[in-house]
Amino acid sequence: MPTRQTSPPQPPTLPPMAWYERLTVLNVTFLIFLCAALVSLRGIHGSGRELNLWGNLSRKLHDFFPPDLSVLGKTLGALGETFEIAVVATLLASVVSLPLALAAARTVSPGWLVAVARMVLNAIRTIPSLIWALLAVAVVGPNPLAGVIGLMFYSIGYLGKFFADAFESVDLEVPRGLRAIGAHPIQAFQFGLWPHARPLVGSYTLWMLEYNLRSASIIGYVGAGGIGVQLHIYQEYGQWDRFCTVLLVILAIVTLLDFFGDWLRRRIAPR
Amino acid sequence: MDVVFEQVGLKRGERWLVRGLQAEIPAGRFVAVVGSSGVGKSSLLSAIAGEFELAEGRIGLARDGGGPRSPGEHRRHIAPIFQHLLLSGNLSLLTNVLLGRLGRRSWISTLTGFPAREEQEAYALLADLGLGAFARRQVHQLSGGEQQRVAVARALFQQPDLYLADEPVASLDAYFAGRVLGLLRQEARLRKRTVFCVLHDAALVERFADVALSLDPARPDGWSIRTISRRPGDTQIEGLGL
Repeated sequence: MPTRQTSPPQPPTLPPMAWYERLTVLNVTFLIFLCAALVSLRGIHGSGRELNLWGNLSRKLHDFFPPDLSVLGKTLGALGETFEIAVVATLLASVVSLPLALAAARTVSPGWLVAVARMVLNAIRTIPSLIWALLAVAVVGPNPLAGVIGLMFYSIGYLGKFFADAFESVDLEVPRGLRAIGAHPIQAFQFGLWPHARPLVGSYTLWMLEYNLRSASIIGYVGAGGIGVQLHIYQEYGQWDRFCTVLLVILAIVTLLDFFGDWLRRRIAPR
Repeated sequence: MDVVFEQVGLKRGERWLVRGLQAEIPAGRFVAVVGSSGVGKSSLLSAIAGEFELAEGRIGLARDGGGPRSPGEHRRHIAPIFQHLLLSGNLSLLTNVLLGRLGRRSWISTLTGFPAREEQEAYALLADLGLGAFARRQVHQLSGGEQQRVAVARALFQQPDLYLADEPVASLDAYFAGRVLGLLRQEARLRKRTVFCVLHDAALVERFADVALSLDPARPDGWSIRTISRRPGDTQIEGLGL
């Protein structure tokens, strides 16, 4: 009886990738960005004059060094004021942002309230911190209070959005489970949602404090108190060596805060 | 709590899971819900809790001699033990157990925490389930089996009339599986609380359940209810509308 010969099964061959399969959203976005950058190059041009670029740069840098450390004491005093402005502004902003963020979180509030709250937050974010500070100086005069008000409004725009995102990122199954055993919506929020959003809220607040400390150094330019006032004065009088001392002090505090922030964030990292 | 099924039908999408389920489970019974994966055991438990819409028929829950009412009206008297536990991972074991009684307390009274007497009670339950030493730890720091015991403790602390336990011993070793099912059985026998419990282990069904409700993967109307004969002296269930 003849036996049928069976050939061993061939392993399937991988079909080649079609060109359109490479057009992922990420790739297309990158391509558009690259094209936009190339087109935008036209807009970047100098004055057309012959300039000694390196000469100019080295002369300017020479003005900065060595830094004049005689103003260090005064600078540290101003730094204290800057720190106070940043801390108070961040605290007030986080308190105001929490209810706004709850209103703006799609998983917590009804659609119409989310739309209104998000519009308010977008409007606040549209205005840069320097302009908020200018407005505040116009209202309460050139003092640290203006700095606090200016930075507070700016921070509300960001913290409100970040906190809302934090609330939306929490898995809703746990609060739903609590509702299933008869918990009030507020109890479901307090014990099911808030404990999971809290580490993120803390982390964002810390980030905002770091940001505000840097911003508080700049808003002094418009008279809103802090170390920026000194920066402005030394720039106006061309005292670049003193200007440099102020910059070094800002660099030191920002670096310190960065390390401390990293350390703290690792300990309250969201789970 | 009595549980009455009247021609209950459950559907997932276009597929029938159960049809024509007719039964009356009197208070104080331990019902094991059995059947292969995907047959609709969890959906049946959700339907009893009022969280899964019935395709046909009605489920009535009656407590303290009252007439049968819809599950939604008895929400705080039902303690689900979810398959995915649904514990609040960033809170302590103790707080998670205390959450069992949220339905009995106003939100204003729980804003600042729970009374010391209840904390003591919750701690005793945790200790009973071998978790006393971890009471102040956060739930996410525990193993799966330990978390499952916390979920059981939360349900026991609720003191409900009806337990809906979806595989409550899936991650437990033999000792704690026996301990947990023993506690649920005690709730049924001594306190006349009704227990519906999804179980996969036939030996555990025979050891702890009064009734086995089996669902058939091949036929939605192929469900069956079997009374489990027990040691002498144990009462048999009567009045099952088979």
